[in-house]
Amino acid sequence: MNFWIVQALNGLQLSMLLFLLSIGLTVIFGLMHFVNLAHGALYALGAYVGVSAFALTGMYWGAFLLAPIAVALAGVVLYLGLIRRMRKAGPMNQVLVTFGLIFVLLDITRIIWGDLALSIPEPQLFTGRSEVLGVAYPTYRLFIIGLGLTVMAGLWLLLSRTQIGAMIRAGVDNDQMAACLGINVERLFFIVFCIGCALAGLAGAVAAPVLSVTPSMGTQLLIPVLIVVVIGGLGSLKGAIAGSLLVGFIQTFGAVLAPQLASVAIYALLAAVLIFRPAGLFPAKA
Amino acid sequence: MFHQTTTKTVTILLLFIGMAIYTVFAGFYGRELVIEAAYLVILAISLDMVAGYGGMVSLCHGAIFGIGAYVFAVLTGMMGVSPFIALVAAIAASGLFGLFVGAVTSRTSGIFFIMTTLAFGQMVYVYTFENRALGGDDGMSGVARLDLSMIGIDTNDSLQFALLAIVFAALSYAVAAFIMRSGFGRTLVGIRSNEVRMRALGLPVLRYKAFAFGISGALAGLAGTIAAQQTMFVSPEMMSWMMSGEALVIVILGGLGTLVGAAVGAVLFVFLQHEVSEVTRYWHMVVGLVLILVVVLGNRGAYGQIEHLLERRKKVAPKASALEVAAEKDASHA
Repeated sequence: MNFWIVQALNGLQLSMLLFLLSIGLTVIFGLMHFVNLAHGALYALGAYVGVSAFALTGMYWGAFLLAPIAVALAGVVLYLGLIRRMRKAGPMNQVLVTFGLIFVLLDITRIIWGDLALSIPEPQLFTGRSEVLGVAYPTYRLFIIGLGLTVMAGLWLLLSRTQIGAMIRAGVDNDQMAACLGINVERLFFIVFCIGCALAGLAGAVAAPVLSVTPSMGTQLLIPVLIVVVIGGLGSLKGAIAGSLLVGFIQTFGAVLAPQLASVAIYALLAAVLIFRPAGLFPAKA
Repeated sequence: MFHQTTTKTVTILLLFIGMAIYTVFAGFYGRELVIEAAYLVILAISLDMVAGYGGMVSLCHGAIFGIGAYVFAVLTGMMGVSPFIALVAAIAASGLFGLFVGAVTSRTSGIFFIMTTLAFGQMVYVYTFENRALGGDDGMSGVARLDLSMIGIDTNDSLQFALLAIVFAALSYAVAAFIMRSGFGRTLVGIRSNEVRMRALGLPVLRYKAFAFGISGALAGLAGTIAAQQTMFVSPEMMSWMMSGEALVIVILGGLGTLVGAAVGAVLFVFLQHEVSEVTRYWHMVVGLVLILVVVLGNRGAYGQIEHLLERRKKVAPKASALEVAAEKDASHA
């Protein structure tokens, strides 16, 4: 029984990390049909900024606050310099430009922070283990789960209860109609893009104490995140939640129950979803 | 549509002859670069066939390339099969895998096609990465080279192997150009520009796309066998999605949808990688910046840009003369 609880918590923790990354990616795609392959690189950037912020402030919370802000600023620069220009250029060109961006961001992090794996310690508040359902589980990982659920709930409220949420939903459903209704879709996209980048940075700072911070951490996580987004349905919040839970749990339980099949299982699931339900499990558009 | 224009013939001949001359005078390291360029030429041409002419932007060509390399490596290195049979088997296996992926993904388009091919590519990569029998992430050594001693070629000699690789690249270009000029290639271009219309004409569109992907896969597999023979070693790295991405970068650098551009791009890429890494360790950044620039500046690529300039000059000339003719007519009527 303990085994199942621990694995379920591991699965949940991975799912939350995937969720933080995929929600930004999916809404950016849903709203503007923009494929940002560099999203993973922004997550790595967040982790590295976290390392520096920790060195600067001597506190984990410095990293936790500064990383999202720094990555959001990087997002502003990218948006104004490049992405605004590529918005209407079609998926092929977007894939290529953001692929080029991966190369550039990867080397920038290597130039600034070097090639060695870095890490930051857990915050003092969340060190050690806590009792959950009779199992001792690392407190910091519980914090990640809690944070993910909080962000999830917050975004849910934002999207379903506020006016800006309604505007975003309208933009995802039909951007031209939304524009006709007087919604500034351009500005909306810009805001959503920055929030998405900030969440990627947050995910980086949160992951830094658990995973080691390496230049390739972004490219490693990018593929699972893309899978989450595509399985769930591009542009859909529900899809990002379902997709990240699905991928997180399949990866965690697969790794312990059927290690031979585990990693292939994710790709098989993705291929199956794309073939039988090309729009994903919870398509954003009716 | 593909035309083997004079510009194309001249460029591709200059490219291969230049590579051959360089090979003769280069040292061992230079020849290694030529071999790398040669198999990247083949890989890029195979990708350009589906991406440039079929509109199918594949992110699994790295995996297909790796399948060719691994099948060749397993057969020659582990089973001691003759390299000739291994070569044929490797090409067939990658062709069949390409056909399978093409058949399964032909209904999807745009970003969904890209993602599905990525999924299949990663499946192969992860499977190989975790399969201990195939050496796992350590890869596998002991790959044999083709034995051409009966026609007096020693493939273990770096010069002769490099020249052989160039010959393979030239043959691949010829095959790709032949296919693209044929009715099959023209149909493929038709499907890219208007799939609905081609379907209405009664063409089995999905079958065409699948076969195109299969042929492209076979060529990518050939490239893989040369890569495996060069280092006599294979590793899962050559199957990762970054490899597929690199192949795409090469095609874009040279010019998408020209075939010659793919070859030019491969040589440029290897040259750039070599020259830039002499100056800085961060050559990826330079490649990334060049890629972004190429796409932002109209996505023509090096060869595409040259062709564009030549064609524009040609087009301007007849237009002017037509105007002159009209002006003369007007003058005579008056």
